[in-house]
Amino acid sequence: MNEILKVENLSISFGSNHVLCGLNMELYENEVLGIIGPNGAGKTVLLNILSGILKPTAGKIWFMGEDITNRSIVERTRKGFGRTFQVPRSFENMTAYENSLVGAAFGGDCKEKDCLEISSDILDLIGLGRQKQDFARKLGLLDRKRLEIGIALASRPKLLLLDEVAGGLTESELTDVLEIVQNIKAAGISVIWIEHVLQTMVDGTDRVLLLAEGRDIIHGLPQEIMDSKEVEEIYLGTDE
Amino acid sequence: MEDKTLRKEKNPLKNIIILVIVAFFASLTLWGNAYFINLLTLLFLYLSLAQMWNLLAGYSGLVSLGQQIFVGLGGYCLAIMTEKYHQGLALSLVVAVAVCVAFAFVISFPIFKMRGVYFTIGTWIVAEALMIFFANWSFANYNIGYNIRMGYTFSPNIIYLMAYIIGIGSVALVFFLLRTKTGLALMSMRDNESAAEVRGVKLYGTKLRIFLLTAGYTGLTGAVLYLNMVYLTPDSAFTINWTVSMVFMVIIGGMGTIEGGIIGAVVYVIIQQYLYNFPGISMIILGAAAIAIILFLPKGIMGTLHSRYGWELFSVRRGLQNKGASVTSLKDILMK
Repeated sequence: MNEILKVENLSISFGSNHVLCGLNMELYENEVLGIIGPNGAGKTVLLNILSGILKPTAGKIWFMGEDITNRSIVERTRKGFGRTFQVPRSFENMTAYENSLVGAAFGGDCKEKDCLEISSDILDLIGLGRQKQDFARKLGLLDRKRLEIGIALASRPKLLLLDEVAGGLTESELTDVLEIVQNIKAAGISVIWIEHVLQTMVDGTDRVLLLAEGRDIIHGLPQEIMDSKEVEEIYLGTDE
Repeated sequence: MEDKTLRKEKNPLKNIIILVIVAFFASLTLWGNAYFINLLTLLFLYLSLAQMWNLLAGYSGLVSLGQQIFVGLGGYCLAIMTEKYHQGLALSLVVAVAVCVAFAFVISFPIFKMRGVYFTIGTWIVAEALMIFFANWSFANYNIGYNIRMGYTFSPNIIYLMAYIIGIGSVALVFFLLRTKTGLALMSMRDNESAAEVRGVKLYGTKLRIFLLTAGYTGLTGAVLYLNMVYLTPDSAFTINWTVSMVFMVIIGGMGTIEGGIIGAVVYVIIQQYLYNFPGISMIILGAAAIAIILFLPKGIMGTLHSRYGWELFSVRRGLQNKGASVTSLKDILMK
């Protein structure tokens, strides 16, 4: 499999607080990589660096063979980055359809007619077909999370960054989210998925990376990582 | 995607109501009395100022306290072109717009490096600096200013028609702009600027275009305002009171809505007529009214009506297309 994303020696500090310390990782085409770790491990900071919101103190990011470390947020989006936020950041006073249209019109390089169709079709596919004309502020939590994914998908990304999309959802809603992620993978989109709900990592990813204190502690197949001593120590603590 | 109008919802009844209102105000020159004509001249000019400030602050997030820069420059361009160079009105207005856009472009470089409250203060400082500069500039007649004699050559009805075109034009401009791709960007920026950027909206370019557009239109409005007022000095042309009135109208009416600027302008002009009797406390009363609105109707009159009842006169909602065959997989969509 070809590498779609490569992170080399990535570091970021806020004053004396070293959040990421020389992180190395790679993501392959059509792979779903789960990233787990305790609060403060640097997971969301990593997504913010990847999407261009934060500048790393050191290190390089390669996307499809191109060094994009110094590329702006908009350039990254137009190159094929899509992302969701932990707290949905949809456009409250716009309809679900218009939200999706923003993704298609500005993130995706499509003609006007295609943009309109894509925006509508995406909402059908992610289960918001009946709420297209509803204002984003009127949607429930699951639908807002669906919409976040929809806006990102409307830009037709090659890489999707998911930031805790399963947080706060019921068990049946988690099944819906897993189905959406499976569809995304089936469409050939690579995914980096940060999550606290560990079961979704086992069920919905190809590989899991445990991030703690800004470092890759361990990575491998999902079940192996969940059964590892490192995960147990970090999430449950040691006997000492 | 090209910057064309994206598909919109159509509502014939609303269009008819709007046309009737527009035609009613156009016919006023035939039957309106002098007081009414003068009042509505002010109303339409203030409406234009409100629409431009709303576009700038309400949609683009550029909360400027320096829009008096362009009111003053517009007025001065008209005065200098007609009094000093004896040019006609049309050329003077073109020069007013051009100078305002050019000046906005020049100051955008330092001003756009500032964020939030620093931008707000920065624009105000530029306006204050311009006031001092014009007061000491021999070319602009120092503190004496100008008596714009061309203003006397036009009947109140003609000036009313100019104001009417500018006022209605400002609403039409904002309405049609919001229905374009740039409008989609503006509405997303209004709701969540950082999220809009992540979705691919170019914030700097969009803001710059709006800054230049509002500068030019505010300059045009300022020129016609001074054609009506006839006399200008640096103190009156560059006073922050212009922007205070814009802020008041938009806050009262509802920020980020087209109708808000209209409601705000009507309320402001009516209140202003009554406050002529209380010159010492007029600003206190306006300030108290603005604080009351912020406390009890933080979205303004129109914003509250819209969020509670979904009511809007100028809908920029984008309707759905009639679809053909439905798409069955995400892969199909990505292949488009």
